[in-house]
Amino acid sequence: MSTLETRGLTRRFGGLVAVNNVSFSLDRGEILGVIGPNGSGKTTFINLVSGVYLPSSGSIMFKGRDITSDAPHLRARAGIARTFQLIHPLQSLTVRENVMLGFLFSRGMRLRQARVEADTICGSLGLERLDRGVAEITMLETKKMEIARALANNPEILFLDEVMAGLNVDETREMVGLVQSVSRRHNIGVGVVEHVMSVIRDLTHRVIVLENGEIIAAGPYEEVSRNPRVIAAYLGGAA
Amino acid sequence: MRRPLSFLIPLLALAAAALLPLVSGPYPLAVARSVLTYMALAISWDMLLRSGQISFGIAGFFGLGAYAAALSVLRGGMSPILSILFAGVFAGAVALILGLVILRLRAVYFSITTLALAEIFRVIIQNWSDFTGGPEGLVLPKLIFNGESKSLYWLVLAAVVIACAASTMFEKSRIRLALSAIRNNEQSAAASGIGIFKYLLVAFVVSSFIQGIVGGIQLQGYGFASPDAVFDSNYTLLPLAMALLGGIHGTPGPVIGALLLGIAAEFLKLHIPYGHLVVYGIIIVLVILFMPQGLYGLLRSRRHAVAPVAENRVDAGAWGK
Repeated sequence: MSTLETRGLTRRFGGLVAVNNVSFSLDRGEILGVIGPNGSGKTTFINLVSGVYLPSSGSIMFKGRDITSDAPHLRARAGIARTFQLIHPLQSLTVRENVMLGFLFSRGMRLRQARVEADTICGSLGLERLDRGVAEITMLETKKMEIARALANNPEILFLDEVMAGLNVDETREMVGLVQSVSRRHNIGVGVVEHVMSVIRDLTHRVIVLENGEIIAAGPYEEVSRNPRVIAAYLGGAA
Repeated sequence: MRRPLSFLIPLLALAAAALLPLVSGPYPLAVARSVLTYMALAISWDMLLRSGQISFGIAGFFGLGAYAAALSVLRGGMSPILSILFAGVFAGAVALILGLVILRLRAVYFSITTLALAEIFRVIIQNWSDFTGGPEGLVLPKLIFNGESKSLYWLVLAAVVIACAASTMFEKSRIRLALSAIRNNEQSAAASGIGIFKYLLVAFVVSSFIQGIVGGIQLQGYGFASPDAVFDSNYTLLPLAMALLGGIHGTPGPVIGALLLGIAAEFLKLHIPYGHLVVYGIIIVLVILFMPQGLYGLLRSRRHAVAPVAENRVDAGAWGK
């Protein structure tokens, strides 16, 4: 059994089926790409797994336990972390405090210990001057902070929702290396939602492709990228 | 450099406040007592505000505390000091039970509900005449400390100290990080493992407990409670205006705001009766528009030479998040 598994996961919003009968699995140490055109249900899928939305039907199993109806903060504590597409860093807190949260509330550490741990993890990601407010840091630093914040939960599974968006070529390359080393070092299963195909190619072991909320293809990037249905989904028109 | 000062100033202020009755005449002391009463309420209101929840129900829990204290003395034969504690516990317990329901609401829906709750408390007490004395209210046979004004003042000061202590505890502990995170973004907060509902409940109960205590002290100090007197909307509006003027999301702001506005109000009352209410209204509007971080926030941003986050403006002004 995989670390994280969904079976027939479906979410409707009124008449719209945003995620339709998605079954997938993700193991520790594995990097999975989740791609698809805009509105294909990628972010909704992450929201279902992290508990922001409850599914209309289907189930989510984490380490053999059914977590389908668990609250978001309980899933974070259990070991499913995520970043957000529309980054919302907590602007009343410093960078350090942002990262401390997971240590404090997911892992139950005391303030002093959480501060030390936050410094360590930020250091390992190359984040410095942690007393700054989040309005004062660069886009790259913000993205690193988001990853540090997720790692603070001590996750076994981590979803990155368009973590490369807004970065230039060099920064993107740095982030790709960072995600790889984080996954390897902490033995984390990473789900990457991304529009930049070179990132998906370089980073992932395996890819699933969503269209209209359904998985239309799955497999290694090289294979999936030649799939006529996938090409049609991205370019439009009949395959 | 900053630490000894941040420790010394509150201590000196407390010493000055404690010594005031020894040097002041009866009128200034009465004014000071009223300022301190509002100060404790302003601090308690701000403690909940740090979670992003704006309460308009201060008068509700204040009045509940006053009636809890009165009834525990008159019907339960409780000692005065114990009745004040009971007032806090009762208000806190009511907040706990109601909080389980209303803390699922956010923004303006929560605010309106707290306003309605205060009104519901008042209507219940007004109409349950057999038990509460109805519209005529209740009169205590004798005041605490026999109504001796210095002791009464110190009693109110004790409530302010309790409020400051609780507020500082919020600021120095993980509670500050939890409440700030919830206020900024609930999804992000939950993604870091924060149990949002639990922390909202803690803030709501503690702030209501303080409001209950202050209500109990008010009752014991004046020996009289009527629905119109103790559920007066001034007990909601003044603390709110004071905290906004002084600066929200911390202990110093409400303290500074209460001092300035409390003393100014007393002065205005003498010259233009009821005019002070107009002044409050104008202050609330001006502060929200031009000084969203309040006086203390302004002071702090001067010292650090870094603009504080414009977030306060969003919190105080626009609820539609």
